[in-house]
Amino acid sequence: MAKLSAMTAAATMFPGILFASEQEEGIPDGANLDWKKGPCRFCGVGCGILVGTEKGKAVAVKGDPNCSVNKGLLCVKGYHQTMCVQSKDRLTHALVKKNGKYVQTPISEALDLVASKMKETIAAHGKDSVAMYTSGQSTIPEGYVASKLMKGAIGTNNLDCNARLCMASAVTGFLTTFGADEPMGCYEDIDHADYFITWGNNMAEMHPVLFSRMLEQKTRRGAKIIDFATRTTRSSTASNRSILFEPQTDLAVANAICNEIINNGWVNKSFVEKHCNFSKGLTNIGYGTEDKFKFKDKPEKIDFAAYKEFLKDYTPEKVAKYSKVSVKDIKYLASIYGDPNKKVVSYWCMGMNQHTRGTWMNNLVYNIHLLTGKISEPGNGPFSLTGQPSACGTAREVGTFTHKLPKGVVMNEKHRRLAAKIWKVPYERIPAKPTYHATEMFRAVDRGDIKFIWTQVTNPLVSLPKTSRYRPGMEKDSCFVVVSDVFPTPTSDVADVILPASWHIEKSGLYGNSERRTQHWDKMVEGPGDTTPDAWMTIEVAKRMGYGDLFPYSEENHVEEIYNEYRQFHEGKKHGMAPLEVLKKESGAIWPYVDGKSTQWRFNEKYDPACKEGSDFDFYGKPDGKAVIWQRPYEPAAESPDNEYPFWLNTGRVIEHWHTGSMTRRIPVLHKAMPSAYVEFHPEDAKALGIRNGENIKVTSRRGSCVLPASINERGLPTKGQVFVPFFDENMLINDVTLDAFCPISKEPDYKKCAVKVEKA
Amino acid sequence: MKKRLGIISLFVLLFIAFIVVWNFSYQTGLEEAYIPIEKTATHSYIPSERGVFERSEFALEYANMPIDKNHQRTLDSYYDNRAYHGAPPSIPHTIKDEKSLGGNTCLQCHENGGFVERFDAYAPVTPHPEMINCRQCHVAQNSETLFKPANMAKVHAPKVGVNNALIGTPPMIPHQIKMRENCLSCHAGPAAPKEIRVMHPERINCRQCHVPTDRLVTEIKAFTRTNSYNNE
Repeated sequence: MAKLSAMTAAATMFPGILFASEQEEGIPDGANLDWKKGPCRFCGVGCGILVGTEKGKAVAVKGDPNCSVNKGLLCVKGYHQTMCVQSKDRLTHALVKKNGKYVQTPISEALDLVASKMKETIAAHGKDSVAMYTSGQSTIPEGYVASKLMKGAIGTNNLDCNARLCMASAVTGFLTTFGADEPMGCYEDIDHADYFITWGNNMAEMHPVLFSRMLEQKTRRGAKIIDFATRTTRSSTASNRSILFEPQTDLAVANAICNEIINNGWVNKSFVEKHCNFSKGLTNIGYGTEDKFKFKDKPEKIDFAAYKEFLKDYTPEKVAKYSKVSVKDIKYLASIYGDPNKKVVSYWCMGMNQHTRGTWMNNLVYNIHLLTGKISEPGNGPFSLTGQPSACGTAREVGTFTHKLPKGVVMNEKHRRLAAKIWKVPYERIPAKPTYHATEMFRAVDRGDIKFIWTQVTNPLVSLPKTSRYRPGMEKDSCFVVVSDVFPTPTSDVADVILPASWHIEKSGLYGNSERRTQHWDKMVEGPGDTTPDAWMTIEVAKRMGYGDLFPYSEENHVEEIYNEYRQFHEGKKHGMAPLEVLKKESGAIWPYVDGKSTQWRFNEKYDPACKEGSDFDFYGKPDGKAVIWQRPYEPAAESPDNEYPFWLNTGRVIEHWHTGSMTRRIPVLHKAMPSAYVEFHPEDAKALGIRNGENIKVTSRRGSCVLPASINERGLPTKGQVFVPFFDENMLINDVTLDAFCPISKEPDYKKCAVKVEKA
Repeated sequence: MKKRLGIISLFVLLFIAFIVVWNFSYQTGLEEAYIPIEKTATHSYIPSERGVFERSEFALEYANMPIDKNHQRTLDSYYDNRAYHGAPPSIPHTIKDEKSLGGNTCLQCHENGGFVERFDAYAPVTPHPEMINCRQCHVAQNSETLFKPANMAKVHAPKVGVNNALIGTPPMIPHQIKMRENCLSCHAGPAAPKEIRVMHPERINCRQCHVPTDRLVTEIKAFTRTNSYNNE
């Protein structure tokens, strides 16, 4: 990009939009900006941004018009993202806790301490006494070196990440149904679909740029948006139809839709016969609220007749009774999916994933698309959205979960051998058994089983469920805590060593977004003080532990070197990654990247070169190329409202803040628009309790309590008997109240459902 | 004989019919008189969010509408018509019928706008057409003279082009949005003041990019936390 003046900067913000001269009055003139491309730092949509720098400082952000994701548009967070970098309490130097006080320490000394502590702990208590907890915001190289250090060098599977809290159910959903992770479609589906059905998903606030693309199709083409949720939101008000359901009953409604599809003869018979199998798994699978909970599903093949018989319990009439969705609405939803002339995309994110039956819920929506054959083609398909910029690219593809390897899983000998070969380590070193998933990892810290933990790019003491247990757990002397971050957080408050990390544009990196798009950016500005990229800190610690030969990367070029090493894992038509030269030039490329081309729709022979010839559709993740339609029943939530705790508690986000707010709250514009969390009531509940807007309310569960101002009829409207709290506010920790029940298959906690009582504080 | 049987059976039928009808009406008469009460919501449904999308069906028309350069409103005249920044605008023209409620008169022009020959101007569009007692808040200006002059200072109204947090970022919303949730009514169409007329009305979801900055009347301090390790 050439240097542009600020005047034209404003005019080029939105492609195709001209500004009258009156509207540019007051915009400072003469700024000479240098624009560099990259992906946005925040959500999983993965918008392309251009950052304008002047004299080594980032001063402007605009949407990248060449990026097909956002076509030049961003959201409130995207436009103002770089404003957090200069925050006054930025962590600029390493801090080591000595006698209860943090002492500024040279970074190399701090890294010495981290490495020696890690070595000592392993020597004294074994490999499984040290752990690393990383993030779906870690870049691909950051995730890769963390995995290589823990699994390849040290030889422990004690590596998990915060994507366990947001995407694990999506992963297990994909694996159980298709045998291959990540969506088959892409964002271009929006341009072709007639109907968008969003399942428990407030896209207007959480995925605003995609929502704006949907709205554009709504006004221009008459496409329709159906909002299926437990809370009325900004998305509901913009939708053609809003349908509300009782928490947890989405399982039953999805089954009722399948039942209607079958009974009305809307099944795409040839598709189901050629490309689908039917299976069932165990039922009454528990909730994982007890320590060391274990579960293993036992899949069993069934036939169509058995599946049809099972669905008899899910007639619209029966389901309407407990889901509080009318028979008419269930039939309406089914008729949209069932109409062979309508193209339908289903979208979902945390509503379905953060669910004690999250894997099942993902399976059930796939059932609907498989029964009707509406999958893997432009405008037709289920699409699981992600919350973090590299939940797909790093957590899922590099595999920073306890059971994962960059390709495949630790349980599989072939996969372990491949990893050992590329990493150049003895294959026996990679243990074949997964250890702790996120929740269990922090339980192990609390129990004293883990004696050293290093967290990177995440803030678990705000984002974990039931922080009322895990905060005191991390404060215990039994565990040495290292926290790498850009800003102080409640997690760094309990650290023994705090490492100052570089922010997004202060380092080079790669992210991977929800539509399988890998995106690269180059370092744009220098970070302050001793700040260092997370990948480099991991490498430095590895070297100090004596694994230098496994990490032969250079400081200037490590991102490139690591990516080229990592690419070997995915070679082939099924997951080939674009070469770095392409990613540097273009605004991302979608894998499988085959013969210089992105594959936009997987599993469809027309678009995907990995499909068998003549197969039409080939779900090649499964050995027989067939996707699985799962028989999954409705089971109640882990905890439901009762006399003592009469309200459902639902938690989530707001458009202004991203996750735990450690970045967005330091952006003055966003903080001022949304200065604190709140507890949202249905107006009739508020009236019955005599609660007025803004009054302080104490929300209490069996685990803890939290005081927040009441919000009535403002941002959202929960259904009667439900309260909603956004979780971004570290001063009002709602996760002290939430329950750490999780999906037994994915181990992803349910933040959307627990029982609470409310009283005036 | 046949005739008689016919007459008897006719009467028997009539009698049975009578018993059935009488019984039915007696039974229904026993039920309590019941008028189902339709539950109407006592609240309007998240007003701050809903209003945003209210006029979105006109968005494409707004986008394609040619600009009538000779009849543009300016921001100055827009502010002149208000006692202070944020006050309800006064009515700058004579009113046809003093006794009428807004629904019959004001809304004829101010619901959807359009050119008014008599005033040689485009009628501004109200962001809240559901509130029909217009003159509860909007007063007429029937006199140019004052009873006694006053010293009320006018609050400085926000200026255009200075509301960006960073160079070129979408301007923030510098005014409160209560009763003005529907952005398009003032920021789009021929009656919109030219300085604040949006050039991309088809985007609809305004608050995707434009952040409100004037949400609360009291000042909001920057985010602070008790633990800060710097300068320690």
